[in-house]
Amino acid sequence: MLKLTPSKKRLLLFIIFGWILLVLSNQVGDLKLYQGSFVATYALAITSIILLTGYSGQLSLGQSALMAVGAYAGALTIFNAGFHPVIGLLVAALVAGVFGLLLGLIVARLSGPYLAGTTLALAVSLPTLANQFPILGAEEGVAFDVGSAPARFGEDFSQYKWYFWIASLAALIMVWFIANLLTSRYGRTYKALRDNPVAAELSGINVGQVKVGAFAISSGVAGLSGALLAILISGVSPSAFPLSLSFSLLTGAVVTGVYSLKGVILGGLVLVAIPEIADSLVSRIGGSEGFTTSLPGFLVSALLILAVVFAPNGPGSLIKRKHHKK
Amino acid sequence: MIRNKSMRRASLVSSIVVTGAMLLSTLPAQAATPGVTATEIKLGISSPLTGSAGLSYGKVPGAMKAYFNYINANGGVYGRKITLISRDDKYLPVRAATETTNLILKDNVFALVGALGTATHAKAYKAAALAANNVPDLFINTGFSGFTDQVKYPTTFMVLPTYAMEAKVIAKAIKDNFPGQPSVLIAQDDEFGTDGVAGFTAAGHKFSVPNVLYPQGYFSTPGRDAAVITSLRGLLAAAPGSKPVIVLFGTTDVTAALLKAATAAGVEKSFTWYAGSVGADANTLLALGVKSTTIDGVVSASFMPDAKDLTDPYVKQFVDINTKYNKGITFDNYVLAAMNSAMLTVQALRAAGKDLTREGVMTAIETKGAKFASAGLVPLGYSATSRIGYNGYWVSQLNAKGEGKPFGGKLVIYTTDSGAGAVEVSTFVRPTMPKNGIPTNS
Repeated sequence: MLKLTPSKKRLLLFIIFGWILLVLSNQVGDLKLYQGSFVATYALAITSIILLTGYSGQLSLGQSALMAVGAYAGALTIFNAGFHPVIGLLVAALVAGVFGLLLGLIVARLSGPYLAGTTLALAVSLPTLANQFPILGAEEGVAFDVGSAPARFGEDFSQYKWYFWIASLAALIMVWFIANLLTSRYGRTYKALRDNPVAAELSGINVGQVKVGAFAISSGVAGLSGALLAILISGVSPSAFPLSLSFSLLTGAVVTGVYSLKGVILGGLVLVAIPEIADSLVSRIGGSEGFTTSLPGFLVSALLILAVVFAPNGPGSLIKRKHHKK
Repeated sequence: MIRNKSMRRASLVSSIVVTGAMLLSTLPAQAATPGVTATEIKLGISSPLTGSAGLSYGKVPGAMKAYFNYINANGGVYGRKITLISRDDKYLPVRAATETTNLILKDNVFALVGALGTATHAKAYKAAALAANNVPDLFINTGFSGFTDQVKYPTTFMVLPTYAMEAKVIAKAIKDNFPGQPSVLIAQDDEFGTDGVAGFTAAGHKFSVPNVLYPQGYFSTPGRDAAVITSLRGLLAAAPGSKPVIVLFGTTDVTAALLKAATAAGVEKSFTWYAGSVGADANTLLALGVKSTTIDGVVSASFMPDAKDLTDPYVKQFVDINTKYNKGITFDNYVLAAMNSAMLTVQALRAAGKDLTREGVMTAIETKGAKFASAGLVPLGYSATSRIGYNGYWVSQLNAKGEGKPFGGKLVIYTTDSGAGAVEVSTFVRPTMPKNGIPTNS
């Protein structure tokens, strides 16, 4: 019998999960597929935050900006340069990764609130850059077209199932890659860096290099998720990546446990569920225009505050405490 | 990996619970034709309710709902009540894409009506896969001529004349009424504006200076409107004694910003202002702070009677409906246009017959749409090969009260096409309004 190492187990787990998603995708309707695509996209974005904040200890509020960079890079590759959509997705991850590398080099000396502030400034200002350069299409943005499903899947293959397949596959591959990364030596290096930078430095870890590396990889992942988001809304424009997206993603990560990858899917589900919950709340209790618009944001903030106060290490820690009380 | 067993268990359990909850909330299987039951027809509209365009266009869904409620109170369409589901897209293409997708996927509407905005709707059409899902896209609130392309937009029916048509009529109006004057075009830099530019080119009109094309949202930065006025004053200096014609091809908030800046600089009477129909609603201009003395004399174009003209039977009927079913909303050109589209929608639904299908309603408009009753003073151009609604304009002039009267005192209707066809004077007489504004066509 083959020896089932943890990494082989993980690979098997991902493959099985992917197969389950495939089967499920043929059972559910277009709406669930559409929502599922968003779950996959947000889960991937949250993964980038887990890597950056949970493991390497760098708090960044600029994930939405990095997603935007990836989305625009991918869109321009497909739309302007005419390459195949898969190339577009790869370019999205790469360009965002390089951008993250440069950004990481700049902010490597910063930490804590200073890093947060710098990335916050980035998140606010970067999308508006699109209004300055005509090639970026201003508010109308650039189209991100992955075309319809290949003909061999048949005529009934819905557009939303196609999006779901693309998003899930990309997310699965990337999350598997990151999961492997985090359980390897690199993951341990990140944790050492996060918990005690001085001790890490003393044991020979090049803190600066590792920080920048984590930033770059995290940005690449965020860029890919940005490209996936652009696919779902058929294009990229500044208003698709507002600051509130950064906060929502961070909330999703914190609520489901920022120190581990296990909660990313749940985080994605939470982010998709919040606007739905807000919608049904509004239809039940009514409300003015202002109320309807700010309710999702309010729910996100409330959730974040509750999570930080009651379960800063994720929901699992609540159960753990109960166990110990016994 | 979560090392702690209970943490892992908790995360797994909560994932399953949330996923289960979401899956279980799936709606039951749909009837053969989405959005139609024995008692109800669901229609959807994605338009700006808030945001910069919400100020003027926010009234559209409410006005349509009012008309539909009036019809529902009078038997509906073959006994079915019309429900209009309205979603706010803030005039942002990305939100329009999401909300339109929600209308199709979540709200399961039969058809879309009155979708608003060029960039917004172009993106939404694609994102929501309206062509693939064969969703009728009726009487859209935009004049971009690209929407008549039946290959790209197979389910779309326009109602507004195209911007290219409007530009050609404006060009003729300038030539006839302001010969020899310099002219400038200030237009929104997207398909809306460029459609207009194409129209002016097709009409052979040459502007005195290069067109001022601004991106959407440009004038929300303070000082930019004043800068444009300053450059226009340069035009005055270059051609002393002239009264240049400034053509404003943008939304009402931009028209207001520029008119206010001109008033602040004291030069508002040095120009003839020609406000394109999209940005010429007098009530909104006044509400945004433009002085009535500035509005007095502004030239515009319209294809409908003026909303303040109570001698027009359609206007009077719609005002009555507005008073009873749309309480608290002032009747203006936007409400008039919205109710008019609603009336066209009801006639389309009726013409499709009792066995209502998506294909059926589209064929009905193609074959019978040109004869539908409406308040428009110009003809409707629907046919098997044409998705064009109204195809002309009459030139109007605003007075200090914000009323639009025919320019020069006499109503002259011009019709044309979006291409190189000539602008002709039309003798069209519109169909009589159905009794009490309730269509009985079939």
